[in-house]
Amino acid sequence: MTASHPRPSRQQQEGYIGLLFLLPWILGFLLFKAGPILAALGFSLTDFKMLSPESTRFIGLENYIRLIGDSNAGAGIFGSIGYFITTVPLQLAVALALAAIFTSDRLKNRRFLRTLFFMPSIISATAIFFVMIGLADPRTGWINKLFLEPLGLPPMQSLFSAMGFTILLMVMALWSIGPGFLILLSAMQAIPQEIYEAARVDGAGPVLRFVSITLPMISPAIFFTLVVNLTGVFGGAVLLDRGYLFSQSLSPMESYITSMMFDEGELGYASTLAWAMFVVTMSITIALFRSARKWVYFPEEERHDDL
Amino acid sequence: MTIFKRSDHSRLSLQTWEFTGTALVNLFVWLLVVVYLFPLSYMVVTSLKNREQFLDPNAPLYPAERMRMTYQGRELIVYQVPLQGGSHPLGLLKAGRVSSQFVDPENPEAGIITWEGNWRLLRAVYQFKLSTSNFSEFMSGLDPALLLKNSLAVALIGEFGVLCSSIMVAYGFSRFRIPGGKYLFLLLIATIIIPDSITLIPTYFMYVRILDWNGTWLPLVVPHFFSSAIFVFLLRQNFKSIPKELDEAAMLDGAGPVRILVSIILPQSIPTVSTVALLHFFYAWNEIRNASLYLGIAPQLRTFAFSVQTFQSFFGGTPEMLQVGALVAMSAPVLVLFLAQRLFMQDMVITGMEK
Repeated sequence: MTASHPRPSRQQQEGYIGLLFLLPWILGFLLFKAGPILAALGFSLTDFKMLSPESTRFIGLENYIRLIGDSNAGAGIFGSIGYFITTVPLQLAVALALAAIFTSDRLKNRRFLRTLFFMPSIISATAIFFVMIGLADPRTGWINKLFLEPLGLPPMQSLFSAMGFTILLMVMALWSIGPGFLILLSAMQAIPQEIYEAARVDGAGPVLRFVSITLPMISPAIFFTLVVNLTGVFGGAVLLDRGYLFSQSLSPMESYITSMMFDEGELGYASTLAWAMFVVTMSITIALFRSARKWVYFPEEERHDDL
Repeated sequence: MTIFKRSDHSRLSLQTWEFTGTALVNLFVWLLVVVYLFPLSYMVVTSLKNREQFLDPNAPLYPAERMRMTYQGRELIVYQVPLQGGSHPLGLLKAGRVSSQFVDPENPEAGIITWEGNWRLLRAVYQFKLSTSNFSEFMSGLDPALLLKNSLAVALIGEFGVLCSSIMVAYGFSRFRIPGGKYLFLLLIATIIIPDSITLIPTYFMYVRILDWNGTWLPLVVPHFFSSAIFVFLLRQNFKSIPKELDEAAMLDGAGPVRILVSIILPQSIPTVSTVALLHFFYAWNEIRNASLYLGIAPQLRTFAFSVQTFQSFFGGTPEMLQVGALVAMSAPVLVLFLAQRLFMQDMVITGMEK
């Protein structure tokens, strides 16, 4: 509305004041994001080592050639993508189902119950890890005592077996649904009841109402949950960061990068790996944002909002 | 008359249905809670067993110890002994492979009861017994008061920084026409997704080599003073839902931008601001990577989560001590969550990420 008004000085002033408020983020972006990302790109072209930083040489694309031949890096990237593909839809489905149950007026003590379901999401990764080591202990753990032994199945040897690790991953994934669950629940509760009433009068059953009203109406929240879970898998700034497992992450690629950094001390090559991961993460994110235009519903007033 | 009767009848059956439906929904959700939180029950139960209770393979799952009795100054372990007329809990006085001698704890004066059979086949009697010795052992290895103080300091300094800066930035994005503001906001959204590993090496060298921040809290708190992209996103969305007419009215009264933020925007954003504050607290409390990178050389500055982890890897390692560590590490955030549940993430409606 004011855009057509010929008052450039006032608008300029508003812009400057606004930029002043953005200053913390702009400085932080340059110092802690853009700067380090470019520095990492520089490091990736060298043989920078943790123990001998002074003998660093420029080696061109050598690290990138090594990356192409590195089967560990390939396994890491595909492992991370695989982890994303298996856990994120599971988390979303469980969070959606739980949120749908919580919209029922029949449920009592809803505030307490939602806190109970949220609670595991704030337990540190270390604590979960300790609990799971105990549960999977071959002699004293409850997984063998309560489930495998009574069912006559062979006992699990340790948490670090294939089965133990799968259980750990599942628990970690299902115990991270807290923020997604609450965001989806808030979105469902914000849908005007009149829409449901109208659909009910038209004879739509509960399943049809869920698919054709609830899902489209909460699609922005679904999209947000997907982005949050995506960043969780690839090690970004998750809504709720539970810390690392002994400075390791569950994401295979990130574990590989961390071990290259701290165990091998090869900072140059670790930077190359981090850049590869960065490119993969950004591509998936851009693809996700592109797809959002097709399935995410934006309310009318948002679409015309020019800010 | 008949019409009344029928409607009465159907109302009654409707009520029955309502009641059954409600009961089923509640029962189902509570069952779900039990399954969902099952691993935590292992943690709580195991942390309350001492080493002997934990290692006893015949002990029940709950914390229990063998029942004992004293007989003529000697301590006897009580076993379940099958006698004529059912089995009885009896104290083992003299063990033997073919026959053993027992004493009845209820009636020790009755004298010695001899039982024919191998005592090793008998099952001990257990009684419920909580043991808190793990906790005292755990706490004696740490300095809980110092760690609590350190963790709280790191969390609250970061909290102050992240709240002030994120509120400022969100206000800038929601209320001002900034040239290219739309693109700046897209850039901000993009930074949410940047993996930590790519910024880790350069920031590590910046903190340790250039700024000489190793062994201080600075790497753990200073970055938070430059706002958090995801918090800016949540706050901006909330600020945009507050009608602009209120700002304009205040502006006519001569209020400047900071006044408007403090006296109009913030009072209406208490739920979102507290949600963001709680999210940061949970993050700061559980944070381990930066703590282990930069506080390794400064034992006096270590945080709770980091020390619990170090303690466990050096001294603990036995499953029952690990459970104590897990319980101690999670207690503060869980307590805060339950105390603040009225404010936490209530009605956080996300209406779009790109816009």
